[in-house]
Amino acid sequence: MSRDERGVPVTSPSGPGAATDKRADLFLRLSELLTGFGGIDLLGTGLAGSYLRVVDDILPPGVLDELLAAFARLPAGLDRGAAVKTTILANRKLGPVARNVILMWYRGTWTRLPDEWRSAYGTSPLDTDHVVSAEAYRSGLQWVAAGAHPAGALQQGYGAWASAPNEPARSPAANAPPTPPLIPTAGQGAHK
Amino acid sequence: MNHQAIQDKSWDVVIVGAGVCGALLAKHLTHAGLRVLVLEAGPDTASPFDGYLDHLEHFYTAASKGIGAPWPPAVSAPQPDTADIRTGGGYFVQNGPDKHASTYSRLLGGSTLHWLGVCLRMLPEDFELRSRYGRGHDWPLDYADLEPYYERAEWELGVSADVADQAHLGIEFPQGYEYPMRRVPLSYSDQVLAEAVDGMLVTVGDDLVALKVRSYPAARNSIPREGYRPAGAVDRRSDGQVVTRYTGQRCAGNTSCTPICPVEAKYHAGKSLEQADRRYLEVTAQAVASKIHVDPVSGMVQGIEYQRYTERTSPRHTVHTVRARAYVLAAHAVENAKLMLMSGLGGENSLVGKGLIDHPALYGWGLAPVPVGAYRGPLSTAGIEDLRGGPFRAEHAAFRFDIGNDGWRATTGAPDTTVTDAVQRQGLYGKELRGHLQSTLPRHVRVSIAVEQLRSADNSVSIDPRYLDPLGNPRPVISYRIDDYTLAGMATAAEVCRQVLRRASVEDHTNPEDGSWYPEVRYDGQVFRYHGMGHFAGTHVMGRHARESVVDAGQRSWEHRNLYLVGGGSFPTMGTSNPTLTMAALTLRTADLMIAGLAC
Repeated sequence: MSRDERGVPVTSPSGPGAATDKRADLFLRLSELLTGFGGIDLLGTGLAGSYLRVVDDILPPGVLDELLAAFARLPAGLDRGAAVKTTILANRKLGPVARNVILMWYRGTWTRLPDEWRSAYGTSPLDTDHVVSAEAYRSGLQWVAAGAHPAGALQQGYGAWASAPNEPARSPAANAPPTPPLIPTAGQGAHK
Repeated sequence: MNHQAIQDKSWDVVIVGAGVCGALLAKHLTHAGLRVLVLEAGPDTASPFDGYLDHLEHFYTAASKGIGAPWPPAVSAPQPDTADIRTGGGYFVQNGPDKHASTYSRLLGGSTLHWLGVCLRMLPEDFELRSRYGRGHDWPLDYADLEPYYERAEWELGVSADVADQAHLGIEFPQGYEYPMRRVPLSYSDQVLAEAVDGMLVTVGDDLVALKVRSYPAARNSIPREGYRPAGAVDRRSDGQVVTRYTGQRCAGNTSCTPICPVEAKYHAGKSLEQADRRYLEVTAQAVASKIHVDPVSGMVQGIEYQRYTERTSPRHTVHTVRARAYVLAAHAVENAKLMLMSGLGGENSLVGKGLIDHPALYGWGLAPVPVGAYRGPLSTAGIEDLRGGPFRAEHAAFRFDIGNDGWRATTGAPDTTVTDAVQRQGLYGKELRGHLQSTLPRHVRVSIAVEQLRSADNSVSIDPRYLDPLGNPRPVISYRIDDYTLAGMATAAEVCRQVLRRASVEDHTNPEDGSWYPEVRYDGQVFRYHGMGHFAGTHVMGRHARESVVDAGQRSWEHRNLYLVGGGSFPTMGTSNPTLTMAALTLRTADLMIAGLAC
């Protein structure tokens, strides 16, 4: 399996179907940037392919490819996060689509595009508020972010609710103080 | 058994409704050797476990995950739906002036398929409200009369609690009594709140009351005490039970008591039906009782007519009549009254259908200063019970706090709405979005405050030939007003809620304008948004005398002596307890009386 520059597995073998895989890969990497979750987490839901299909089925032809192309043109490296905002999220056509992709990953739900967007770029009978699938509901990233589990699924077990929640993973945006360095205390013998 | 055979057979008892009361009666009457027929208006889709899982799948894929989401009705047995409260459409005809904000479900198992499971006993003073505080009504029986039946009901439903937590506000237990299972552990959020709130004093009326976060009894399987075996998932199917018997024998923390417990660790009426002596029991689903035939001279019931439909999507049906020695309406407070009225049995005192009550309830919500682990565990595990009783009830309604473990789900539609707001309004994405959600969602806190309501003749279930359902049966016409006694209780409850949140340093976000839509009432310059608790009661009230009530203390009709009307409809007052446990206790008492009467 090949890996991208950060070591995330990339599912893009060469040969027949490579174009499709290239699209799927771009969609996955765009999703990483938009959701703040790594490729492993996203692939782990098993839903990347379904979500790509949902977007393809609902959007007028070419719109998703435009979005993926815009993403592919973004500068590499640290500027990417900022560039996605100005190039994609602020774009009248691509912004609402990108935000829908975020909502779909977090909620498992497709959200009807704004009326303004629909009249400018086209409508689809599938463009309604709807849960993509039971699996999508259960795999919503919102539950992971909450340090919880989807209501009615993936239960944590008897009595788990009595324990303190897991400390959320540190994130630069959370304004959390930096983790203090571990200072070995005398007597622990961990360090000499 | 086909419907010709059901018609031809002579039954001891015909029960209308396979909810908690009908199921408990069926269980006990059959164990006494009585031949029982249960007519259930709705379908029997949840008894095989794979059917139950279909309901779960419905919940997962429903865009709106309200109380009815997993339980779509059959065309011929329509039911109220929360979405209809706003639109004014649907099964109920809302006659106002206020909206009745509750719903129920018509299917085998009834609303116990989506109840929260709270099993508080009523307070001794709830049975004597008139004598003690000059308000409401007294019951024809008191707490001591009902106490042994409360014990039995707690063991029937499988209630988890510790006596030490529950012996307060005058509630007494016999020496040595134990609930069948240990209390459900308090959530981390309860513990954090308790640390801040326990011992805080609030002024209510002329009294200074100390508050305490208290575990409440729940019909959710916990660690059993000696002599009790938890009842897990039901799997009734022609080829025998397939699902493992251990499924649902312990609550797993699905954070989904309402609208569906995925593992059936919470009591539902299907469990009691499973425990009946099936040799004497016939349960017929998709059979809508439509008329009670009564002898005009003696008043005795001679038969019950029902409409049997085979397709859940079509109103096509056949009509049958069944006969028995005794008849029980256990169809729900609204449906019992409706069936009486459509049979022309409104009573000489016209009390049938009059006095409908509920627990109109307020939400409070906020952001805790630290993560409290929201969205984990049974929907709630503790409450603040201290304002359920006291001398202030001479002035205004009592109330109880239920502390949620489900974050702002009910109040705003979170976490979905939190995500949508962050993405669409705040423009967050990527790591910043994730960080924002991680730092807010686990701090979501909500309380729900159920406020007492007293019976009034203005509040009623009636019928009107202009409003019919697809079978041609009347739809319930609901007249409902929340009076000043309850409104004054709401005002105090809202104030206490503000004080509690402040005390716990919870940033108060209670703002109905931002929250999910709920109907509103106004009082003293304030606007309250209230939701229904599904606690319908009071529509066939019990009493000491025929002139002032519909049934006697045994839930037996005064005018039709072989007819019993059971359930919340019999309540003269409801206090602040969720009614199911008291309904079960009353029903077990009725079962004893019926067995004694029918055995001879």
